[in-house]
Amino acid sequence: MIDKKFAHPDALVTTQWVAEHLSDSGLRLIESNEDILLYDTGHIQGAVHIDWRADLQDETIRDYINVEQFSALCERHGISNNTTVVFYGDKSNWWACYALWVFRLFGHTKVKIMDGGREKWVAEGRHVTRAVPHFVHAHYTPSEKRRDDEIRAFYDQALAQSREGRPLIDVRSPGEFRGEMTHMPEYPQEGVLRGGHIPGAASVPWKMAVADDATFKSYEELRTIYEDEAGLKGGDDVIAYCRIGERSSHTWFVLTYLLGYKNVRNYDGSWTEWGNRVGAPIEKG
Amino acid sequence: MSYPAKLSQIIELFETLPNSEKREALISYADSAMRQGPKDGETFDLEDIRKDEECTDSVGVFLKLSPTRGCTFRVTLGPHVQTLTKAMTSILCKGLDGLTPEEVIEVPADFVPKIVGADLVRQRSQTVYYILTRMKGITKVWLNRERSAKHI
Repeated sequence: MIDKKFAHPDALVTTQWVAEHLSDSGLRLIESNEDILLYDTGHIQGAVHIDWRADLQDETIRDYINVEQFSALCERHGISNNTTVVFYGDKSNWWACYALWVFRLFGHTKVKIMDGGREKWVAEGRHVTRAVPHFVHAHYTPSEKRRDDEIRAFYDQALAQSREGRPLIDVRSPGEFRGEMTHMPEYPQEGVLRGGHIPGAASVPWKMAVADDATFKSYEELRTIYEDEAGLKGGDDVIAYCRIGERSSHTWFVLTYLLGYKNVRNYDGSWTEWGNRVGAPIEKG
Repeated sequence: MSYPAKLSQIIELFETLPNSEKREALISYADSAMRQGPKDGETFDLEDIRKDEECTDSVGVFLKLSPTRGCTFRVTLGPHVQTLTKAMTSILCKGLDGLTPEEVIEVPADFVPKIVGADLVRQRSQTVYYILTRMKGITKVWLNRERSAKHI
């Protein structure tokens, strides 16, 4: 069941809903994972695979593909401007939320997340297939530009947010926030020269937003976490960050679609930019 | 640099495959990863079961040496180990089978891109070298113990 109190309950669908809509012509399923071969081992019938690194990022500079490349990607997967795209994946939908956020950067607003992601679909014993679907090329009219100024934050904006005392949410693990480690506990501690957090940021690990079965917590539970405990208020201009922007995409989705915040930006440069930047202010502890 | 014969056969197979079939072959190897664990009644010279930062779940590496110092590796994988790591487990259990410890240590890591492809290595570098590192690690421990025993 999707909590109807969510600000945008239509942005979240159940595994059962997906199972009942597999044949909808106006709908496309996209699987996006950390495990790059997981899709190839079996996926939901009709789902296509989009990889955050191979498909959504520029191969040379640290940035996203351009509007023409995005249009070509969509057309290749039979996605038009009117297609409703449902994202799901591993790791409680980290990369699904990241891919959804990137789709929003390009102005695609018909987006949904399958609650519980791949874990829940598999745990329920639902059918998976290794057959890779091929769709007729669609026509996708590219937007004039990426919407970086709406839902994406850059270093200078995060710095200004910090200096002005406006809300910054650090969604990494507590050890990363305190500066005791520079990556998640289960990952190699490399790639960042300094540990800690952006001065003034509040620590709200992304995982607080999900239940044990990888589904999102209820509206009331989320409101308690982000407002009563972390101090956010409706109408706040919020920047979320993590290490490379994927976990903070998850929190961006929670704040934007489930709690209804209208001004949330994802600082995707995140700690791999901030912790390597010469002279960037850092708090520890 | 030449590779051990069994590993060389696997490398040559992958090098002939287009990218799509390379992925299918990797999935096939990943599917057989759970069969690389210890068999009933097997005993080992060394066992190393642990959870490292470099891998998403625990991995157990078991080493047995024959009277002629040929290595046999068995590997157990936790349920959250990624697919590329599973594939490399099967490939290395087969490819390094029967090598002496010295030969295992000397296997160059540059065969990995030839098998999984340069793109996958670039996109997920942390997952493709882990099992080779663990196998070389347990082999080094065995060699050190052998050298120590000779000096006693």
